Amino acid sequence: MIKINIHKALHGVNGEMSLDVNLNIKKGEFVALTGASGSGKTTLLRILAGLEEIEGKIELNTSHKHAIGFMHQNEALFPNMTVLQNLLFIAKDKELAIHLLTLTNLLKLQERYPNTLSGGQKQRVSLCRVMMQRPEILLLDEPLSALDAKMRTKLQIDILKLHKEFKTTTIMVSHDPSEIYKLSTRTLTLENGKIIKDGNTKEVLLKTQGSQKFSFEGELLELKEVDVVVIAIVAIGQQIVEIVLSKEEAKNLKVGTNVTLSTKSFSPSVH
Amino acid sequence: MSQLNATITAIQKQDSLHIVTFNAQGFELHMMSLELGSNVIVGANVLLGVKASSVAIAKEFSGQLSYSNQLDLEIQNIDKGTLLCSLQLKSNGLELESIITKASKERMSLQVKGKVTALIKSSDLYIVEIL
Repeated sequence: MIKINIHKALHGVNGEMSLDVNLNIKKGEFVALTGASGSGKTTLLRILAGLEEIEGKIELNTSHKHAIGFMHQNEALFPNMTVLQNLLFIAKDKELAIHLLTLTNLLKLQERYPNTLSGGQKQRVSLCRVMMQRPEILLLDEPLSALDAKMRTKLQIDILKLHKEFKTTTIMVSHDPSEIYKLSTRTLTLENGKIIKDGNTKEVLLKTQGSQKFSFEGELLELKEVDVVVIAIVAIGQQIVEIVLSKEEAKNLKVGTNVTLSTKSFSPSVH
Repeated sequence: MSQLNATITAIQKQDSLHIVTFNAQGFELHMMSLELGSNVIVGANVLLGVKASSVAIAKEFSGQLSYSNQLDLEIQNIDKGTLLCSLQLKSNGLELESIITKASKERMSLQVKGKVTALIKSSDLYIVEIL
């Protein structure tokens, strides 16, 4: 169990703010940390890693001094060492290094130097390198944000495998709902230094409107009266969709405003 | 979307799937749903919603239909378009809109004051909010 009860004054982009966090994290839990940039996510990770001065208390209940592994968005490997040497530099445990490289399907790259690896391969090696210290707590600061979709999926699988195999308590900063859903069981949302949402990942992520579970936020672009119905054109992210409304439904809608589209989970089909 | 005030009278559950039964102005309605919010309980008053295009119409019907929701209503008004028409239906203070093709309306000779049965699949009915 990690017990966190901390206070820290921050000079954020939006001026002065304070990071106030009081929470318990169970051993072996996979926690996603989300929130707008500048909300204090990275600072919270750095505090847990012992890299920031704070007021308050953190109880980690760990058994060894390298109990915390921290992986950043762009982790640098030692360029003059092979993949295997990079791992062994952290701990002289060849068996563990080979085990990690086998788990992540990187064994064939063990003699390669970092400058011959792709960005995704480097990140995966970095993850193995962090695991060399057998961390009880693994802190991941957007480890996948610089990768393409295919490599992301690979690294997500690696992270989950390692989390399970080593029974680490993992805290990961992420903005990607699909990633958070796949990996974490609990999601914390930070806003201006405070945790505003803390709950089961599915409950936190699932947007609902009453009992309608298929729900999206969008911008109403156009309302067209056709016959006795009204066709609404709505932009959702990069996508434009059309919805058929009755005149009564369309009555109070204004073009240019944000709207929530929702339907029952039974209606959409998947292709 | 038509909105109906209703009270939850029963909830059946199988894993994450639920069938919720409501009483709306004396009509018994059924809704199929995935997970329910913690405030969706027997006795709760809710606002139900259904899209006008999900409401089918039967007239002088005899036989069996799988529709869980069958409401005997009166046509209050008909808004005729070129291809479609919108029917305003009412009974006991319960109001419902149905959008059907104009061809169906003509074929069934639907008229204002005519008696019809509104048909709604339980998977098309939803809770807008808990009151």
